[in-house]
Amino acid sequence: MRAIVTGAARGLGAAIAGRLARDGADVALLDMSVDVMASAGRLAGDVGAAGDAGGAGRQVAVGLVADVSDENACAAAVDRAVHAIGGVDVLVNNAGIGGPDTDVTRTSLAEFRRVLDVNLTGIFLMCREVARVMIGQGSGGAIVNLGSVFGQQGVAGGAGYCASKAGVALLTHSLALELAPHNIRANTIAPGNMATEMHWDELRSRAARSGGTFDEQVEMVRASVPLGRHGTGGDIAGVVAWLVSPDAGYVTGQTIGVNGGIWLS
Amino acid sequence: MTPGRLAGRRALITGGASGIGLACARRLLAEGAAAVLLDRRADALASAAGTGAAPVACDIRDPGAVAAAVARAAGLLGGPADVLVNSAGVYRIAPLLDLTPREWDDVLAVNLRGTFLAGRAVAAALIEAGLPGAIVNISSTAGLLADASEPSAHYNASKAGVLALTRQMAAEWAPHGIRANAVCPGVIDTPMLRLMDDPAAGAAYLQADVPQRRLGSADEVAAVIVFLVSDDASYLTGAAVPVDGGITAI
Repeated sequence: MRAIVTGAARGLGAAIAGRLARDGADVALLDMSVDVMASAGRLAGDVGAAGDAGGAGRQVAVGLVADVSDENACAAAVDRAVHAIGGVDVLVNNAGIGGPDTDVTRTSLAEFRRVLDVNLTGIFLMCREVARVMIGQGSGGAIVNLGSVFGQQGVAGGAGYCASKAGVALLTHSLALELAPHNIRANTIAPGNMATEMHWDELRSRAARSGGTFDEQVEMVRASVPLGRHGTGGDIAGVVAWLVSPDAGYVTGQTIGVNGGIWLS
Repeated sequence: MTPGRLAGRRALITGGASGIGLACARRLLAEGAAAVLLDRRADALASAAGTGAAPVACDIRDPGAVAAAVARAAGLLGGPADVLVNSAGVYRIAPLLDLTPREWDDVLAVNLRGTFLAGRAVAAALIEAGLPGAIVNISSTAGLLADASEPSAHYNASKAGVLALTRQMAAEWAPHGIRANAVCPGVIDTPMLRLMDDPAAGAAYLQADVPQRRLGSADEVAAVIVFLVSDDASYLTGAAVPVDGGITAI
């Protein structure tokens, strides 16, 4: 399996890339941060040290720096990834940014556009480039795009973020219909509240606005989750590993909520 | 397929003697779980004996029979079942104007009441023992979409009810470490399928209404169910996962 994972320098993307590599995939890690080079190097070392079944010459993990909202950068990055790992069977679009977390009356057009550019347009660009390659290869494939529980329900102060993530789901489902005849499946994962730096930043911002403490915000969110905890990168990586495997061979055009049950009420 | 992924798990599969239930049993066993099959039909249970799962005859509509079967399964498995797959179900076709109250009750009794009874009995035993577990209920795309060409209001209502029941199981039992999810199979190649009774009409439906343009297999549904009970799905609860080749994405 040859996989491209975006937003892979840290957080969920790093966990997803790590899981796919440990399951035997060759992975291209893409991020706008140059830190992705070090992440890829560590992953190559970890997986290589654990025994490289692919033998000599296998590109376990390759780092690529690119901003997914830049059309030319996307095309160049996909081209480099495909050359480095010999093709592409799996695309995981995890790259995303938090919203400005401000009321709509105080949100600038530039802030709103930036969230849409990265979270939605970036996924369109990556899917378009990779779908062209996958169709050319003629051997099918699987695309997993990261939406959010906040693409399924609104949140005050999060209009841009929620709109971008809701857009991801319908973009993905439309691609699923178009690409099904090419045996390419496309699904959305909608994480709930994850133990990531992006979520902690949001809770710090909320604490500052409400006059409460960060710890109070963390506890409030935790208590709202039926399973009683934040999600982890491993929780998302496990679902990605399933969705890109033959075990999900008849699953396409779906949104899989990975949220500890928070979407229930 | 991940051999050993479910080693030490104790599985109970209702409607386990055929179709998706039987495929599930085979897959659970292949990944290391112990399994007990519940089914109303003794002859079908006998023919499933080769799987290595222990058969227990049970009418899923009967609360006393379900309680006895869940207790017997715990004895056979060496502890309370910590995986429950509610696969027992019946399918009937009848336009609403011809549908009798008796037929309505019969379908609801197996598909919805039976899922409630088995789920409650298994969860009660787990909570009593202080053990976590995972439940997967078989709903259907018919619980999400209407279909005028193959009218089955009682079946569709029962499967929509299963989704609400699943969310409630997930919400009430999450504090006990019990996850509950549903799968919504589309057109799956099992004895219950009626779509291909008219092969030309069936083929036309697959071309026009199923993005992947083919039937699914019971093994493909079983693969999703086994993922849902595995630790890879440890943060997934209350979900409805269509396994339908994209039908519900249209």
